[in-house]
Amino acid sequence: MPFEHLLVAIDGSEASNRALDKALELARLTGGRITALAVEGPLPVYAATIGEVDEVKREKDRFFGRLADDVRRRAEGLGLPVEVDVRAGHAAELITSVAREKSVDLVVLGHRGHFLRDHLLGSTADRVAEHAECPVMIVR
Amino acid sequence: MSSLALATILLAASLAASMISVELGISVALIELGLGVVIGNAFDVTTPEWLVFLASFAGVVLTFLAGAEVDVLQLRREWKASTAIGLVSFGAPFLVAAAAAYWGLGWSGDASKIAGVALSTTSLAVVYAVLVETRLNQTEIGKRIMAATFVTDLGTVAALSVLFVTPNVWFVPFAAVSVALIVGLPRIAPWFFARFGDRVIEPEIKLAFAGLFLLMWLGDRAESHAVLPAFVLGLALSSHYETHRQEQERLRVVAFAFLTPLFFLRGGMSVSLAALWASLGVLAVLFAAKMVPKLVGVYPLARRYCAPHAAFTTLLMSTGLTFGTISSLYGLSAGLVDETQFSLLVAVVVLSAIVPTMIAQWRFQPDAAEELAREAAPRGRLALEGEGG
Repeated sequence: MPFEHLLVAIDGSEASNRALDKALELARLTGGRITALAVEGPLPVYAATIGEVDEVKREKDRFFGRLADDVRRRAEGLGLPVEVDVRAGHAAELITSVAREKSVDLVVLGHRGHFLRDHLLGSTADRVAEHAECPVMIVR
Repeated sequence: MSSLALATILLAASLAASMISVELGISVALIELGLGVVIGNAFDVTTPEWLVFLASFAGVVLTFLAGAEVDVLQLRREWKASTAIGLVSFGAPFLVAAAAAYWGLGWSGDASKIAGVALSTTSLAVVYAVLVETRLNQTEIGKRIMAATFVTDLGTVAALSVLFVTPNVWFVPFAAVSVALIVGLPRIAPWFFARFGDRVIEPEIKLAFAGLFLLMWLGDRAESHAVLPAFVLGLALSSHYETHRQEQERLRVVAFAFLTPLFFLRGGMSVSLAALWASLGVLAVLFAAKMVPKLVGVYPLARRYCAPHAAFTTLLMSTGLTFGTISSLYGLSAGLVDETQFSLLVAVVVLSAIVPTMIAQWRFQPDAAEELAREAAPRGRLALEGEGG
């Protein structure tokens, strides 16, 4: 069956919500299952105090805990099996490596269209599309 | 420039640093240091007395907070490995950097000692951030590295307090009050905080600050420095804060909102870019004087106690930031180092926060899941063998 296992990258943004909508719709049509990968941004690098690191970590844990609950609730509402994986690191690298690790059939991710950053550094979507070993759907 | 104009610029810079930090995910302290460098080099500013005073207090508060972060149980569990790694991590760069500054660069005895202390540190927060982000803080190796970092920092604050003491009659009350606060405050804390705590007027923060000011005043009279008793006082109160996280949070809020930005901005303001540019060779020598002894000294012990991640452990133990800046700023304020020497020391400290961290994460970072599985495996096998007979 095509697209039996879908990986969707989520971060709570509008773009990632659109990607999640599309992934849920696709999974419902194909009877597939979803892994939602929540990519936590990095903790403050070269911190001067543990308090600074702790605070950001707690904030991230709370935010991504809520995000994971929301995804589970929406998928369960549609009767779809979902696994939520929260990991910290570089978004494009993580998405690509988790896609490989879990042998997914399709990666779904949103495109934010950040003009300056995209032109200077290339978007996460571009980099995943370039490096992923499976098809990639970029939702605009 | 008037005091109000400078205060406005500094608080605006502190606000900008916070926003940049949130956007870029880089430590606010590093950005404050950078903006301080810009302010100090772009404007003709003479650092006013009030800023020196507030920055000195902020340094002691930072030290107290660092002590309060110590996980005493973890330190006790890992004392053997952590003491060995931590002491070598402090002692080797201290001796080499001080010797390089004294004999190699011709610095004065006091300036060389400041160089040794400033470059002996390991950054608790830099190490902690790497370990938490990679979930290695849950592994034995991560816990061991954290405990060793505490030991190194204890060596640094002890050296800063002891090396520059000129014994006089005030040393006795300084030592006596230090011991009384360290022993007494944890005992009265539960009663005091239960009776007066949890109010917007913050009696518990005032108690901590009053204790720190008392230590600073007596330390000053004794011609010593309050960082050692401040660190140990934080350590003594760490168990209390462990169970009263909100108190610790409020203390952090006061410190990070107003005090520590002034500390790092003041540090940055005293860095002379022209002096740095003119002394790039000396910068390289000092950087090597920190990194080489850290690498050579810590690596054999890391191989023994943190195998198979000796390189990762060694690189993390080579980082530095807060205590290095505190030591350098103390040297500048006390007239032990000049502006060029201070600029060089702070530059090396900042480089040591960035370079070893990047290399450790890029080339040697262990996988936390694999590490936890590896640590669990022998115990599982032993348990099975035990069951079998």
